[in-house]
Amino acid sequence: MSQPTAHRKPSRESAHTGFMRHRGFRWAKFALLLCIACIAAYVWHEPLDGPSGGSWLGYTLGGIALALVVFLAWLGVRKRRYGSSLGTLKGWTSAHVYLGLALVLIATLHSGFQFGLNIHTLAYTLMVLVVVSGIYGIVVYAKLPQEIARLRTGSTRDAWIEELLDLNDEALKLAEPMGPDVHRKVVGSIEKVQIGGGLRRQLYGSKKQKRSLEQFSDALQQRLKALIDSAPPETFNPSATQQSTVMFMAGQLGSGDKSALDLQRLQQLLDVIGRRNALVTRINRDIALHARLQVWLLLHVPLTFALIAALIAHIVSVFFYW
Amino acid sequence: MSSVYALAIVGSGPAGLAAAARAAELGLSHVLIEAEPHLSHTIHRYQKGKHVMAEPAALPLRASVPFAAGQREVILTAWDRSAAKLKIHIRHRAEVIAITGAQGRFTLKLSNGEAINAEHVVLAIGLQGNPRKLGCEGEDSGLVQYQLDDPAEYRNETIVIVGAGDAAIENALALSTQNRVTLVNRRDDFDRAREGNRDAVLKAIEQGRLRVVYNAGVASVAMTAAQRGVITLSTPQGAAPIDCQRIIARLGATPPRAFVESCGIVFPSKDPNAVPAVSDRYESNVPGLYVIGALAGFPLIKQAMNQGWEVVEFIVGRSPEPADAPLLASKFERLPGYRSVPATIAQIQSGIPVLAPLTPLQLREFLLDSALRTPRAGEVIFSRNDYSDSFFSILAGDVFIAPNPDDVSELIPLAAGQFFGEMSLISGRRRSATVLAGEGCVLIETPRRSMNKLIASVAAVKRVLDETFLTRAIQSKLAPGLSADELQEVVASASVQRFKAGEVLFKAGDVGDGLHLIRKGSVTVAQQIAGKEMVLAYVPAGQYVGEMALLTGAARSATVKAAIATETIKLEVAPFLGLLDKHPALRDQLGNTLKSRAAANASAPQSDSQQHGIVQFLMQQGLGEATDVLLIDEGLCVGCDHCEKACADTHGGISRLDRDAGASFAQLHVPTSCRHCEHPHCMKDCPPDAIRRAPNGEVFITDACIGCGNCEKNCPYGVIQMGTVSEKPPSLMSWLLFGGTEPGARAEKALVKAKQQSGKQAVKCDMCKDLSGGPACVRACPTGAAIRVSPEQFIQITQGAD
Ligand SMILES: Cc1cc2nc3c(=O)[nH]c(=O)nc-3n(C[C@H](O)[C@H](O)[C@H](O)COP(=O)(O)OP(=O)(O)OC[C@H]3O[C@@H](n4cnc5c(N)ncnc54)[C@H](O)[C@@H]3O)c2cc1C
Ligand code: HEM
Ligand code: HEM
Ligand code: SF4
Ligand code: SF4
Repeated sequence: MSQPTAHRKPSRESAHTGFMRHRGFRWAKFALLLCIACIAAYVWHEPLDGPSGGSWLGYTLGGIALALVVFLAWLGVRKRRYGSSLGTLKGWTSAHVYLGLALVLIATLHSGFQFGLNIHTLAYTLMVLVVVSGIYGIVVYAKLPQEIARLRTGSTRDAWIEELLDLNDEALKLAEPMGPDVHRKVVGSIEKVQIGGGLRRQLYGSKKQKRSLEQFSDALQQRLKALIDSAPPETFNPSATQQSTVMFMAGQLGSGDKSALDLQRLQQLLDVIGRRNALVTRINRDIALHARLQVWLLLHVPLTFALIAALIAHIVSVFFYW
Repeated sequence: MSSVYALAIVGSGPAGLAAAARAAELGLSHVLIEAEPHLSHTIHRYQKGKHVMAEPAALPLRASVPFAAGQREVILTAWDRSAAKLKIHIRHRAEVIAITGAQGRFTLKLSNGEAINAEHVVLAIGLQGNPRKLGCEGEDSGLVQYQLDDPAEYRNETIVIVGAGDAAIENALALSTQNRVTLVNRRDDFDRAREGNRDAVLKAIEQGRLRVVYNAGVASVAMTAAQRGVITLSTPQGAAPIDCQRIIARLGATPPRAFVESCGIVFPSKDPNAVPAVSDRYESNVPGLYVIGALAGFPLIKQAMNQGWEVVEFIVGRSPEPADAPLLASKFERLPGYRSVPATIAQIQSGIPVLAPLTPLQLREFLLDSALRTPRAGEVIFSRNDYSDSFFSILAGDVFIAPNPDDVSELIPLAAGQFFGEMSLISGRRRSATVLAGEGCVLIETPRRSMNKLIASVAAVKRVLDETFLTRAIQSKLAPGLSADELQEVVASASVQRFKAGEVLFKAGDVGDGLHLIRKGSVTVAQQIAGKEMVLAYVPAGQYVGEMALLTGAARSATVKAAIATETIKLEVAPFLGLLDKHPALRDQLGNTLKSRAAANASAPQSDSQQHGIVQFLMQQGLGEATDVLLIDEGLCVGCDHCEKACADTHGGISRLDRDAGASFAQLHVPTSCRHCEHPHCMKDCPPDAIRRAPNGEVFITDACIGCGNCEKNCPYGVIQMGTVSEKPPSLMSWLLFGGTEPGARAEKALVKAKQQSGKQAVKCDMCKDLSGGPACVRACPTGAAIRVSPEQFIQITQGAD
């Protein structure tokens, strides 16, 4: 009795699968066949002066390798042709990954294992680097999204930032009647959580404006991109200020001559600051995870350009010196 | 006042102003009565600098005051100037609170106690209603205002805001950044407001940015000096005076209906969308009392102005050809044997029974909105599974309905005078059959909104459509081959039942007393398994639940709940069994159908509680009324925002989806993006009827949008934005070679700027209906995280990725 779901535009896929298993591993199978064919040809082919890029098979394999590189690099273009109806980007990525892996084998066979200190081997090395960075990319694509989903548990970074701002406000309000010392300390700790100058204004000035909050997180993100995987970021190190603020507060708690009301306030303040710091840590983690999802491309893409340059040099040189 | 005007016009909007201008031009003794100190309060209230549009473009303007698309200020100034030049007699700050008497001597009572007498009255008060006043001493003093245009204008003032609805909260929050604001709430909660506003105001109160007085009414207002005064609240603890500089009362508006009814004008139904029935001379059931403009159901400025001009012509005894006559003529010309517009209208009214109860004006409006089609014999009018929602009446010739996709030779003929297409109109779902044109076929195709307006306004139309829907639904789902006569008894015993979201249709173990055919909305079917409730199925409109009751009479085996507001047709067991007794072949056939359905249910993969949770979550996100929705698998999404970039790049620089926003559950994320609802809320109040549904189901906004912002407010999922699209997307080649703007780069700056400017229109997802290859968001996702699904696939989705 159910109504058919026919009448859909063609590009819709019924089930939902990730790019690795796109269309029942169509590209994986294709790449595998390509590899097998190349190995068979290589084994079968016995040139007089041993296998090399100079034999007819070498040229053929080199040609295939070149075509693959062009196709792989074209992903950068196809990715931004949003109106294109030439397959889906998911299909392209799937092909990219499997053909990229096949490329290693094909290029190696092409070279006939003749490596040395020359422009040819430079091209080969660059290619391997691109591929390795690509493999790293696959690993993070496979792992981090789930980690992010677990971290977020249904919430969003915007909601956290909103909550953070509220907690900051609350902390300030609690600190207000507690004398200039405490107040200054809280203001200081709030200021330190933000990066560079002007950010505080960004945060407060456009509180209701989600977009500028995103700009804020973009700013954080950019900053973090640079620092990623290096030492803990210095300009944005909540734990340093956390520690000292909490210590300071605890000192206040212990310092005797406080009325019960003040004590209660301090306890509340500590609680709020504790919660805020936990939130800051979580936001940082979220930003860092997102940065790690993208940062490897900063290696993958420039290396691609270098590879193309080296390849051109390789091809030109073999034509001049054979 | 003892003098009697020939004509009193109430309301100086485009309709009333145009009427007064024509009266002045003709030298008729008249008075234009306006509650506000300026002309055209509705237009006056538009946002500053708004670009006012002159839709429908094809309709010529016929009025003594100018109007063309342009800035609000320009239009208002031109109107003021014309009013002065024509010496229109205007009474400002005069609210009419009662109209009594009869043609020749009406008495209009004003709120200040004065009375005005007139022979004829034109009611042009629009639909905005009047703001509710404080209802106490001083409510009209200079201290109190009932509207707030620009919160940024006020600084360092002490302001009291009265009210607890969305408007009051939004004003209070906006003002509290620069002023000391106290909110006065008659109750002790903010439950009337939207969730977002409620949370925001409670937070602001908690943080001390706002003061609030709960359980308080306003006892009096008194000025103490210029822009200074005291508002006295009555609270359970006694009277509480507050010094303030400004009082803003946001108590909502009283819809004009009660006032209009008190003048003796009859509304055809209780439906809040109903408009008073008027003759083709705009005269109501009270002779001499005319109704024009938005109040009469014509929601655009140009229509209102034309009617203002025409109504005065009618009153002075002339009968000008209506301004829309050329439009109708051009529509009718293609008809075989066309003679004149009135002749064709008469032919239509007598030839199509369902249209007979319409007033001439309603019929005209209906025909203006409709298209006349003369398909060749054999041409497909619509196909099974199309998502179109228009309504067809057959003026001549016949059509053939092909309900059975497996046997296209099975054809049901429909003759001239009958109609079709009501199924999708009512259920909001795909066409259930293909319809082919016969010989000499002439059809009137009417868009959904015009039909809904008729259903709301003409009870007879509603009844006929409901009955036909019922008969045809039973014919197509349960009793194929039986005629309407044979089904009469079953149809007569059937009833339409309404359920709110979450309400139970029936529970497992209940006595099976009938079958529910879902007419509108959708339901979930759940069973108790190992002590936990598990959702087995999602059943959309057009299908039925509880069918076993008809055959076995056994108790219900599952619990069925409405996923959203749902209407079902309930068929009682007894009359249906009677029918089966008379038609044993039908009994066998039905038995087989139901058995195979039961078998299919039993072999469906057993669900777990996780899945139940997901279904629950999806329903909460409004997917129960969705036809196609964007979902993101968080386990695959790498946050590259390619989906948004693709959307922006292919849609004038504004992304219509917000990936990061929206709720998630069990790694399934529902981004802020259009659900393409079965009955789109956004369509509800669109003055130019600019929101349409395309044959594949895409709900989209046409260029006719006038930027009024109603749809933005009406969409419960917050997916419509107001913005200006840019024509030229950034070029990929020039970005690659020279840098600059990357294709798909966020155009938020443009959006924010557009918000402040005026030429904005509503923008939303159109599911890339104009792109070959389908939705760009999904095609641009490198990992396959973004998917679009239809309701039929929900259960499949919840059963895991592969
Ligand atoms: C935000 C927005 C944008 C819009 N943009 C456009 C657009 O671009 N193009 C377009 O064609 N249409 C637009 N519309 C629709 C258009 O405003 C209305 O169709 C039009 O104003 C209707 O005219 P009217 O004369 O029937 O009623 P109104 O314009 O509503 O005028 C009614 C008048 O009657 C007065 N009044 C009410 N009750 C009383 C009483 N009891 N006593 C005395 N006076 C009374 C009111 O103060 C008011 O001045 C828009 C609507 C909105 C809300
Ligand atoms: C991804 C693409 C390619 C890579 C990584 C690559 C790499 C190499 C390497 C490492 C060698 C061995 C160098 C040596 O003998 O010392 C080689 C040899 C050679 N390559 Fe390529 N190559 C590629 C594409 C091509 C193409 C497209 C051509 C043809 C136009 C080509 C023509 C040759 C020739 C003629 C040789 C033999 C040179 C010699 O023996 O001195 N290669 N290649
Ligand atoms: C010589 C081989 C390769 C070249 C030249 C190449 C080139 C590129 C380019 C140009 C992009 C587009 C980046 C951008 O514009 O943002 C890209 C993306 C990518 N590449 Fe490669 N690549 C190669 C091999 C590989 C391999 C072997 C893998 C994986 C095993 C891989 C995985 C990816 C992934 C996952 C992306 C990101 C896709 C996206 O998010 O849109 N690449 N690559
Ligand atoms: S814009 Fe909103 S109301 Fe309209 S169809 Fe989309 S989700 Fe439904
Ligand atoms: S395009 Fe796909 S992976 Fe990228 S953000 Fe959108 S859903 Fe996530």
